[in-house]
Amino acid sequence: MTSLKDRIARRCAQELHAGQVVNLGLGIPTLVANHLSPDAAVIFHSENGVFGFGPKPDYHHADSDFTNAGCEPITLPAGAALMDLATSLGAMRNGYIDVTILGALEVDATGNIANWATRRAGRWWPGIGGAMDLCYGTPTVIAALQHTDTHGRPKVRHRCTLPLTGAGCVKLIVTELAVFDVLPGGGLFLRDLQEGATLEQVRNSTEADFTVAETVLAGNTVAECV
Amino acid sequence: MAPSAPEATRSNPTHPLDKVMPLSAALAPLQSGMRLMLGEFVGAGEPVACVRWLLDSALDELTLIANTPGLRGGFLKALLFDSGQIREYIGTHVGTTEQSTAAYLENRVLVREFFPMGTWAEKVRAGAMGLGGILVPVGVGILDQPGLFPDLPTAKQTLDLNGQRYFVEPALTADVSIIKGWRADRLGNIEFRGTSTQNQRDIAMAGRYTVAEVNEIVEVGEIPPERVGCPGVFVNAVVQGVSLAEQHELYRQHWVKLGRLHAPTAAV
Repeated sequence: MTSLKDRIARRCAQELHAGQVVNLGLGIPTLVANHLSPDAAVIFHSENGVFGFGPKPDYHHADSDFTNAGCEPITLPAGAALMDLATSLGAMRNGYIDVTILGALEVDATGNIANWATRRAGRWWPGIGGAMDLCYGTPTVIAALQHTDTHGRPKVRHRCTLPLTGAGCVKLIVTELAVFDVLPGGGLFLRDLQEGATLEQVRNSTEADFTVAETVLAGNTVAECV
Repeated sequence: MAPSAPEATRSNPTHPLDKVMPLSAALAPLQSGMRLMLGEFVGAGEPVACVRWLLDSALDELTLIANTPGLRGGFLKALLFDSGQIREYIGTHVGTTEQSTAAYLENRVLVREFFPMGTWAEKVRAGAMGLGGILVPVGVGILDQPGLFPDLPTAKQTLDLNGQRYFVEPALTADVSIIKGWRADRLGNIEFRGTSTQNQRDIAMAGRYTVAEVNEIVEVGEIPPERVGCPGVFVNAVVQGVSLAEQHELYRQHWVKLGRLHAPTAAV
Protein backbone atom coordinates (compact mmCIF):
# COMPACT_ATOMS: atom_id res chain seq x y z
CA MET A 1 0.00 0.00 0.00
CA THR A 2 1.27 3.44 -0.90
CA SER A 3 1.74 5.71 2.07
CA LEU A 4 0.27 9.21 2.05
CA LYS A 5 3.74 10.66 1.74
CA ASP A 6 4.60 8.44 -1.20
CA ARG A 7 1.34 9.38 -2.91
CA ILE A 8 2.32 13.04 -2.60
CA ALA A 9 5.85 12.36 -3.80
CA ARG A 10 4.66 10.31 -6.78
CA ARG A 11 2.36 13.12 -7.91
CA CYS A 12 5.15 15.70 -7.52
CA ALA A 13 7.42 13.54 -9.70
CA GLN A 14 4.94 13.95 -12.58
CA GLU A 15 5.65 17.68 -12.54
CA LEU A 16 9.38 17.25 -13.29
CA HIS A 17 10.79 17.25 -16.80
CA ALA A 18 14.06 16.31 -18.51
CA GLY A 19 16.79 18.92 -18.27
CA GLN A 20 15.32 20.74 -15.30
CA VAL A 21 17.57 21.61 -12.36
CA VAL A 22 15.68 20.48 -9.27
CA ASN A 23 16.25 20.93 -5.54
CA LEU A 24 14.36 18.59 -3.23
CA GLY A 25 13.81 19.72 0.35
CA LEU A 26 13.90 17.43 3.36
CA GLY A 27 10.98 15.15 4.22
CA ILE A 28 8.37 14.27 1.62
CA PRO A 29 10.27 16.01 -1.22
CA THR A 30 13.26 13.68 -0.76
CA LEU A 31 10.95 10.78 -1.67
CA VAL A 32 10.23 12.29 -5.09
CA ALA A 33 13.49 10.88 -6.49
CA ASN A 34 12.17 7.35 -5.83
CA HIS A 35 9.31 7.98 -8.26
CA LEU A 36 11.38 9.13 -11.22
CA SER A 37 12.56 6.75 -13.90
CA PRO A 38 16.34 6.38 -14.21
CA ASP A 39 16.23 8.12 -17.60
CA ALA A 40 14.26 11.11 -16.29
CA ALA A 41 17.33 13.29 -16.98
CA VAL A 42 16.55 15.64 -14.13
CA ILE A 43 19.60 17.41 -12.67
CA PHE A 44 19.39 17.29 -8.88
CA HIS A 45 20.96 20.14 -6.96
CA SER A 46 22.00 19.98 -3.32
CA GLU A 47 22.71 23.23 -1.51
CA ASN A 48 25.97 22.05 0.01
CA GLY A 49 27.42 22.37 -3.49
CA VAL A 50 26.58 19.78 -6.15
CA PHE A 51 24.66 19.55 -9.42
CA GLY A 52 23.76 16.13 -10.79
CA PHE A 53 24.23 13.89 -7.76
CA GLY A 54 23.16 10.25 -7.87
CA PRO A 55 21.55 7.67 -5.60
CA LYS A 56 22.69 6.56 -2.17
CA PRO A 57 25.65 4.13 -2.28
CA ASP A 58 25.98 0.93 -0.28
CA TYR A 59 28.00 0.83 2.94
CA HIS A 60 31.39 0.14 1.40
CA HIS A 61 31.00 2.84 -1.24
CA ALA A 62 29.66 5.49 1.15
CA ASP A 63 32.21 8.33 1.06
CA SER A 64 32.15 10.79 3.95
CA ASP A 65 33.09 13.60 1.56
CA PHE A 66 30.21 12.89 -0.86
CA THR A 67 27.06 14.00 0.97
CA ASN A 68 23.79 15.82 0.37
CA ALA A 69 22.26 18.75 2.26
CA GLY A 70 21.04 16.41 5.00
CA CYS A 71 24.49 14.82 5.42
CA GLU A 72 23.44 11.59 3.80
CA PRO A 73 25.82 9.71 1.53
CA ILE A 74 25.36 10.30 -2.22
CA THR A 75 27.17 9.29 -5.39
CA LEU A 76 28.61 11.58 -8.02
CA PRO A 77 27.92 9.95 -11.39
CA ALA A 78 29.36 11.15 -14.71
CA GLY A 79 28.21 14.67 -15.40
CA ALA A 80 28.03 15.77 -11.78
CA ALA A 81 29.61 19.11 -10.89
CA LEU A 82 30.78 20.46 -7.55
CA MET A 83 30.92 24.03 -6.32
CA ASP A 84 31.63 25.88 -3.12
CA LEU A 85 28.84 26.88 -0.72
CA ALA A 86 28.57 30.56 -1.67
CA THR A 87 28.27 29.61 -5.35
CA SER A 88 25.63 27.00 -4.59
CA LEU A 89 23.51 29.43 -2.57
CA GLY A 90 24.11 32.13 -5.17
CA ALA A 91 22.74 29.76 -7.82
CA MET A 92 19.62 29.37 -5.68
CA ARG A 93 19.14 33.10 -5.13
CA ASN A 94 19.83 34.01 -8.72
CA GLY A 95 17.39 31.68 -10.50
CA TYR A 96 19.66 28.84 -11.65
CA ILE A 97 17.45 26.23 -9.99
CA ASP A 98 14.33 25.60 -12.12
CA VAL A 99 12.12 23.76 -9.65
CA THR A 100 12.18 23.24 -5.91
CA ILE A 101 9.86 20.94 -4.01
CA LEU A 102 9.54 21.92 -0.36
CA GLY A 103 7.72 20.53 2.62
CA ALA A 104 5.45 23.01 4.38
CA LEU A 105 3.77 23.69 7.70
CA GLU A 106 1.32 26.03 5.97
CA VAL A 107 0.65 27.35 2.49
CA ASP A 108 -1.94 29.89 1.47
CA ALA A 109 -4.08 31.21 -1.35
CA THR A 110 -1.56 33.93 -2.24
CA GLY A 111 1.31 31.49 -2.71
CA ASN A 112 2.91 32.12 0.66
CA ILE A 113 4.72 29.22 2.30
CA ALA A 114 5.74 28.77 5.94
CA ASN A 115 8.11 25.93 6.74
CA TRP A 116 10.96 27.13 8.96
CA ALA A 117 9.45 28.01 12.32
CA THR A 118 7.01 26.77 14.90
CA ARG A 119 6.52 28.21 18.37
CA ARG A 120 8.36 26.24 21.04
CA ALA A 121 9.03 27.37 24.61
CA GLY A 122 8.20 30.93 23.61
CA ARG A 123 10.61 31.11 20.68
CA TRP A 124 10.73 30.31 16.99
CA TRP A 125 12.34 26.99 16.18
CA PRO A 126 14.18 25.31 14.35
CA GLY A 127 15.66 27.68 11.72
CA ILE A 128 15.90 28.58 8.09
CA GLY A 129 18.69 26.67 6.36
CA GLY A 130 18.51 27.04 2.58
CA ALA A 131 14.72 27.13 2.18
CA MET A 132 14.37 30.91 2.09
CA ASP A 133 17.01 31.28 -0.64
CA LEU A 134 15.17 28.64 -2.69
CA CYS A 135 11.82 30.38 -2.28
CA TYR A 136 13.34 33.72 -3.22
CA GLY A 137 15.07 32.66 -6.41
CA THR A 138 13.39 29.57 -7.85
CA PRO A 139 10.82 30.17 -10.62
CA THR A 140 8.75 27.08 -9.77
CA VAL A 141 8.21 26.36 -6.08
CA ILE A 142 6.09 23.27 -5.39
CA ALA A 143 4.77 22.78 -1.86
CA ALA A 144 4.45 19.10 -0.96
CA LEU A 145 2.53 18.56 2.27
CA GLN A 146 -0.15 16.57 3.99
CA HIS A 147 -3.51 18.24 3.70
CA THR A 148 -4.04 18.59 7.46
CA ASP A 149 -1.75 18.64 10.48
CA THR A 150 -1.58 15.99 13.19
CA HIS A 151 -4.56 17.66 14.94
CA GLY A 152 -6.61 17.54 11.73
CA ARG A 153 -6.34 21.29 11.13
CA PRO A 154 -6.10 22.53 7.52
CA LYS A 155 -2.62 23.39 6.29
CA VAL A 156 -3.87 25.01 3.07
CA ARG A 157 -4.86 28.32 4.63
CA HIS A 158 -6.53 31.52 3.58
CA ARG A 159 -3.42 33.28 4.97
CA CYS A 160 -0.39 31.71 6.63
CA THR A 161 -0.18 32.36 10.37
CA LEU A 162 3.44 31.23 10.92
CA PRO A 163 6.56 33.20 9.87
CA LEU A 164 6.95 32.89 6.12
CA THR A 165 9.72 31.20 4.22
CA GLY A 166 8.66 32.79 0.94
CA ALA A 167 6.01 35.30 -0.07
CA GLY A 168 3.86 34.69 -3.13
CA CYS A 169 6.32 32.13 -4.50
CA VAL A 170 4.38 28.84 -4.52
CA LYS A 171 3.08 27.82 -7.95
CA LEU A 172 1.72 24.37 -7.12
CA ILE A 173 0.43 22.67 -3.97
CA VAL A 174 0.43 18.88 -3.84
CA THR A 175 -1.23 16.99 -0.97
CA GLU A 176 -2.46 13.43 -0.57
CA LEU A 177 -5.91 14.66 -1.60
CA ALA A 178 -5.44 17.38 -4.14
CA VAL A 179 -3.31 19.33 -6.59
CA PHE A 180 -3.85 23.11 -6.55
CA ASP A 181 -2.42 25.69 -8.91
CA VAL A 182 -1.75 29.04 -7.26
CA LEU A 183 -3.12 31.49 -9.83
CA PRO A 184 -1.12 34.56 -10.84
CA GLY A 185 -2.38 37.34 -8.60
CA GLY A 186 -3.62 34.87 -6.00
CA GLY A 187 -6.36 32.31 -5.61
CA LEU A 188 -6.29 28.52 -5.72
CA PHE A 189 -7.44 26.34 -8.59
CA LEU A 190 -8.15 22.67 -7.84
CA ARG A 191 -6.54 21.14 -10.90
CA ASP A 192 -6.69 17.54 -9.83
CA LEU A 193 -7.91 15.15 -7.17
CA GLN A 194 -5.55 12.45 -6.00
CA GLU A 195 -6.67 8.89 -6.59
CA GLY A 196 -9.45 7.98 -4.15
CA ALA A 197 -10.02 11.55 -2.94
CA THR A 198 -13.37 13.32 -3.30
CA LEU A 199 -14.17 16.97 -3.86
CA GLU A 200 -16.15 17.01 -0.63
CA GLN A 201 -13.15 15.70 1.29
CA VAL A 202 -11.02 18.50 -0.13
CA ARG A 203 -13.64 21.14 0.64
CA ASN A 204 -13.95 19.91 4.23
CA SER A 205 -10.22 19.96 4.94
CA THR A 206 -9.16 23.14 3.13
CA GLU A 207 -9.43 26.56 4.77
CA ALA A 208 -8.66 28.55 1.61
CA ASP A 209 -11.30 29.15 -1.04
CA PHE A 210 -10.62 27.56 -4.42
CA THR A 211 -12.10 27.18 -7.86
CA VAL A 212 -12.48 23.73 -9.35
CA ALA A 213 -11.35 22.42 -12.74
CA GLU A 214 -14.04 21.16 -15.11
CA THR A 215 -12.28 17.81 -15.25
CA VAL A 216 -12.55 17.48 -11.47
CA LEU A 217 -16.24 18.38 -11.52
CA ALA A 218 -16.72 15.80 -14.27
CA GLY A 219 -14.99 13.23 -12.06
CA ASN A 220 -12.63 11.95 -14.72
CA THR A 221 -9.28 12.70 -13.12
CA VAL A 222 -8.20 9.18 -12.30
CA ALA A 223 -6.37 8.63 -15.60
CA GLU A 224 -4.00 11.49 -14.82
CA CYS A 225 -3.06 10.03 -11.45
CA VAL A 226 -1.78 6.66 -12.64
CA MET B 1 49.04 38.49 16.22
CA ALA B 2 49.00 34.76 16.30
CA PRO B 3 51.99 33.11 17.90
CA SER B 4 54.19 30.93 15.77
CA ALA B 5 54.74 27.33 16.80
CA PRO B 6 57.45 26.55 19.31
CA GLU B 7 60.50 25.27 17.46
CA ALA B 8 60.47 21.92 19.24
CA THR B 9 56.98 21.05 17.99
CA ARG B 10 57.87 21.43 14.35
CA SER B 11 57.95 18.12 12.61
CA ASN B 12 60.18 19.40 9.86
CA PRO B 13 62.47 22.04 11.32
CA THR B 14 64.43 22.27 8.07
CA HIS B 15 61.59 24.07 6.31
CA PRO B 16 61.37 27.69 7.51
CA LEU B 17 57.64 27.99 6.72
CA ASP B 18 56.53 24.64 8.14
CA LYS B 19 53.05 25.06 9.69
CA VAL B 20 52.52 21.48 10.87
CA MET B 21 52.18 21.32 14.65
CA PRO B 22 50.48 19.32 17.43
CA LEU B 23 46.85 20.10 18.24
CA SER B 24 47.59 21.76 21.57
CA ALA B 25 50.12 24.13 20.01
CA ALA B 26 47.92 24.85 17.02
CA LEU B 27 44.90 25.70 19.17
CA ALA B 28 46.82 27.57 21.89
CA PRO B 29 45.65 30.98 20.59
CA LEU B 30 42.00 30.02 21.17
CA GLN B 31 40.85 31.48 24.49
CA SER B 32 37.57 31.43 26.40
CA GLY B 33 35.18 34.14 25.25
CA MET B 34 36.52 34.21 21.69
CA ARG B 35 34.62 34.03 18.42
CA LEU B 36 35.27 30.62 16.84
CA MET B 37 34.31 29.81 13.25
CA LEU B 38 34.05 26.16 12.17
CA GLY B 39 33.76 24.61 8.71
CA GLU B 40 30.98 22.03 8.21
CA PHE B 41 27.59 21.33 6.59
CA VAL B 42 25.12 19.46 8.82
CA GLY B 43 28.07 17.59 10.28
CA ALA B 44 29.84 16.85 6.99
CA GLY B 45 33.35 18.24 6.73
CA GLU B 46 33.83 18.64 10.46
CA PRO B 47 37.35 18.84 11.89
CA VAL B 48 37.05 15.67 13.98
CA ALA B 49 40.27 15.87 16.00
CA CYS B 50 39.89 19.59 16.75
CA VAL B 51 36.28 19.14 17.91
CA ARG B 52 37.33 16.28 20.20
CA TRP B 53 40.13 18.49 21.56
CA LEU B 54 37.65 21.34 22.16
CA LEU B 55 35.30 19.00 24.02
CA ASP B 56 38.20 17.94 26.28
CA SER B 57 39.33 21.51 26.85
CA ALA B 58 38.29 23.93 29.60
CA LEU B 59 37.42 26.62 27.04
CA ASP B 60 34.00 28.19 27.48
CA GLU B 61 31.95 31.31 26.75
CA LEU B 62 32.69 30.77 23.06
CA THR B 63 30.70 32.33 20.26
CA LEU B 64 30.34 29.57 17.69
CA ILE B 65 29.91 30.66 14.08
CA ALA B 66 28.94 27.65 11.95
CA ASN B 67 26.45 26.97 9.17
CA THR B 68 24.51 24.44 11.29
CA PRO B 69 24.95 22.81 14.72
CA GLY B 70 25.84 19.56 12.95
CA LEU B 71 24.46 16.06 12.65
CA ARG B 72 21.89 14.47 14.95
CA GLY B 73 22.58 11.43 17.13
CA GLY B 74 25.30 12.95 19.34
CA PHE B 75 27.84 13.48 16.60
CA LEU B 76 31.00 15.50 17.37
CA LYS B 77 30.33 19.25 17.21
CA ALA B 78 26.73 18.85 18.36
CA LEU B 79 28.11 17.84 21.76
CA LEU B 80 29.53 21.36 22.22
CA PHE B 81 25.90 22.45 22.71
CA ASP B 82 25.65 20.05 25.64
CA SER B 83 29.02 20.79 27.25
CA GLY B 84 28.17 24.37 28.24
CA GLN B 85 31.13 25.78 26.28
CA ILE B 86 29.07 27.86 23.84
CA ARG B 87 27.58 31.18 24.91
CA GLU B 88 26.23 32.27 21.53
CA TYR B 89 25.61 30.58 18.19
CA ILE B 90 25.54 32.38 14.84
CA GLY B 91 24.18 30.25 12.00
CA THR B 92 21.18 29.23 9.93
CA HIS B 93 19.41 26.61 12.05
CA VAL B 94 19.35 25.06 15.53
CA GLY B 95 17.20 22.03 14.77
CA THR B 96 19.71 19.74 13.08
CA THR B 97 20.79 18.22 16.40
CA GLU B 98 19.00 17.27 19.61
CA GLN B 99 21.69 19.02 21.68
CA SER B 100 21.36 22.37 19.93
CA THR B 101 17.55 22.26 20.07
CA ALA B 102 17.63 21.64 23.81
CA ALA B 103 20.29 24.29 24.47
CA TYR B 104 18.28 26.85 22.48
CA LEU B 105 14.87 26.07 23.95
CA GLU B 106 16.28 25.93 27.48
CA ASN B 107 17.99 29.28 26.97
CA ARG B 108 21.48 27.87 27.51
CA VAL B 109 22.77 29.21 24.17
CA LEU B 110 21.95 32.66 22.82
CA VAL B 111 20.72 32.78 19.22
CA ARG B 112 19.84 36.37 18.30
CA GLU B 113 18.50 35.52 14.83
CA PHE B 114 18.56 32.88 12.12
CA PHE B 115 20.07 33.70 8.74
CA PRO B 116 19.07 32.24 5.40
CA MET B 117 22.00 30.02 4.43
CA GLY B 118 22.96 32.14 1.44
CA THR B 119 22.99 35.22 3.65
CA TRP B 120 25.13 33.48 6.26
CA ALA B 121 27.57 32.25 3.58
CA GLU B 122 27.89 35.73 2.07
CA LYS B 123 28.40 37.33 5.51
CA VAL B 124 31.30 34.94 6.03
CA ARG B 125 32.59 35.65 2.55
CA ALA B 126 32.42 39.38 3.22
CA GLY B 127 34.50 38.79 6.34
CA ALA B 128 36.91 36.73 4.25
CA MET B 129 37.28 39.31 1.53
CA GLY B 130 37.72 42.39 3.67
CA LEU B 131 34.26 43.84 3.03
CA GLY B 132 32.19 45.66 5.63
CA GLY B 133 29.02 43.81 4.71
CA ILE B 134 26.62 42.90 1.93
CA LEU B 135 23.18 43.79 0.57
CA VAL B 136 20.77 40.83 0.60
CA PRO B 137 17.24 40.82 -0.83
CA VAL B 138 16.27 37.45 0.66
CA GLY B 139 13.82 37.64 3.56
CA VAL B 140 13.00 41.36 3.29
CA GLY B 141 9.45 41.86 4.56
CA ILE B 142 9.68 38.54 6.43
CA LEU B 143 12.70 38.52 8.75
CA ASP B 144 12.19 42.17 9.70
CA GLN B 145 8.70 41.58 11.08
CA PRO B 146 8.44 43.05 14.59
CA GLY B 147 8.86 40.52 17.38
CA LEU B 148 10.32 37.75 15.23
CA PHE B 149 13.79 38.01 16.80
CA PRO B 150 13.32 39.71 20.20
CA ASP B 151 16.99 39.24 21.18
CA LEU B 152 18.21 41.52 18.37
CA PRO B 153 19.54 44.71 19.96
CA THR B 154 18.36 46.84 17.01
CA ALA B 155 15.98 46.36 14.10
CA LYS B 156 17.47 44.85 10.95
CA GLN B 157 18.81 47.64 8.75
CA THR B 158 17.50 47.97 5.18
CA LEU B 159 18.64 49.99 2.19
CA ASP B 160 16.83 50.83 -1.05
CA LEU B 161 18.91 50.59 -4.20
CA ASN B 162 17.74 50.62 -7.82
CA GLY B 163 14.15 50.12 -6.77
CA GLN B 164 14.75 47.11 -4.55
CA ARG B 165 14.99 46.84 -0.78
CA TYR B 166 17.88 44.94 0.77
CA PHE B 167 19.03 43.98 4.22
CA VAL B 168 22.36 45.53 5.16
CA GLU B 169 24.19 42.53 6.58
CA PRO B 170 27.52 43.12 8.36
CA ALA B 171 30.45 40.81 7.64
CA LEU B 172 31.18 37.88 9.96
CA THR B 173 34.72 37.40 11.21
CA ALA B 174 36.30 35.27 13.92
CA ASP B 175 39.23 35.33 16.31
CA VAL B 176 40.00 31.73 15.38
CA SER B 177 38.78 29.65 12.45
CA ILE B 178 39.09 25.89 12.15
CA ILE B 179 38.67 24.29 8.74
CA LYS B 180 38.79 20.69 7.54
CA GLY B 181 40.57 19.62 4.37
CA TRP B 182 41.67 16.36 2.83
CA ARG B 183 45.41 16.97 2.36
CA ALA B 184 47.77 19.70 3.37
CA ASP B 185 51.37 20.33 2.53
CA ARG B 186 53.75 21.75 5.11
CA LEU B 187 53.14 25.29 3.84
CA GLY B 188 49.46 24.93 4.73
CA ASN B 189 48.16 24.62 1.17
CA ILE B 190 44.91 22.66 1.48
CA GLU B 191 43.21 20.30 -0.97
CA PHE B 192 39.53 19.47 -0.44
CA ARG B 193 37.50 16.41 -1.44
CA GLY B 194 34.00 16.22 -2.88
CA THR B 195 31.20 18.17 -1.26
CA SER B 196 33.35 18.91 1.80
CA THR B 197 34.77 21.93 -0.03
CA GLN B 198 31.78 23.90 1.34
CA ASN B 199 32.94 27.39 2.33
CA GLN B 200 36.02 26.16 4.19
CA ARG B 201 38.31 28.55 2.32
CA ASP B 202 36.10 31.55 3.15
CA ILE B 203 36.10 30.49 6.80
CA ALA B 204 39.91 30.24 6.73
CA MET B 205 40.15 33.79 5.39
CA ALA B 206 37.53 35.18 7.81
CA GLY B 207 39.53 34.08 10.83
CA ARG B 208 42.29 36.23 12.28
CA TYR B 209 44.09 32.97 13.08
CA THR B 210 43.27 29.74 11.23
CA VAL B 211 43.90 26.07 11.93
CA ALA B 212 43.45 23.51 9.16
CA GLU B 213 42.84 19.89 10.11
CA VAL B 214 43.49 17.33 7.38
CA ASN B 215 43.42 13.59 6.83
CA GLU B 216 46.89 13.56 5.35
CA ILE B 217 49.99 15.75 5.42
CA VAL B 218 52.17 15.61 2.33
CA GLU B 219 55.41 17.19 1.20
CA VAL B 220 55.47 20.54 -0.55
CA GLY B 221 54.84 20.03 -4.26
CA GLU B 222 52.61 16.97 -3.93
CA ILE B 223 49.43 19.05 -4.23
CA PRO B 224 49.39 20.56 -7.72
CA PRO B 225 48.93 24.35 -7.50
CA GLU B 226 45.61 24.23 -9.37
CA ARG B 227 44.28 21.69 -6.83
CA VAL B 228 44.97 23.97 -3.86
CA GLY B 229 41.50 24.88 -2.59
CA CYS B 230 42.80 27.08 0.21
CA PRO B 231 46.25 28.64 -0.19
CA GLY B 232 48.58 28.24 2.77
CA VAL B 233 48.79 32.02 3.10
CA PHE B 234 45.34 31.84 4.75
CA VAL B 235 46.39 29.09 7.17
CA ASN B 236 48.45 29.54 10.35
CA ALA B 237 48.64 25.95 11.55
CA VAL B 238 48.16 22.48 10.09
CA VAL B 239 47.16 19.57 12.31
CA GLN B 240 46.93 15.88 11.56
CA GLY B 241 43.36 14.64 11.93
CA VAL B 242 41.97 11.14 11.55
CA SER B 243 42.89 9.30 8.35
CA LEU B 244 40.45 9.30 5.45
CA ALA B 245 39.70 5.63 6.09
CA GLU B 246 38.94 6.33 9.76
CA GLN B 247 36.78 9.30 8.76
CA HIS B 248 34.77 7.15 6.32
CA GLU B 249 34.24 4.53 9.03
CA LEU B 250 33.17 7.16 11.59
CA TYR B 251 30.49 8.56 9.26
CA ARG B 252 29.39 5.16 7.92
CA GLN B 253 28.81 3.83 11.42
CA HIS B 254 26.91 6.96 12.39
CA TRP B 255 24.79 6.75 9.23
CA VAL B 256 23.94 3.16 10.10
CA LYS B 257 23.02 4.28 13.62
CA LEU B 258 20.68 6.91 12.11
CA GLY B 259 19.19 4.43 9.63
CA ARG B 260 20.59 6.34 6.66
CA LEU B 261 22.79 3.49 5.51
CA HIS B 262 22.40 -0.28 5.69
CA ALA B 263 25.06 -2.06 7.71
CA PRO B 264 27.22 -4.38 5.61
CA THR B 265 25.69 -7.85 5.56
CA ALA B 266 28.88 -9.41 6.89
CA ALA B 267 28.56 -7.36 10.09
CA VAL B 268 24.89 -8.17 10.72
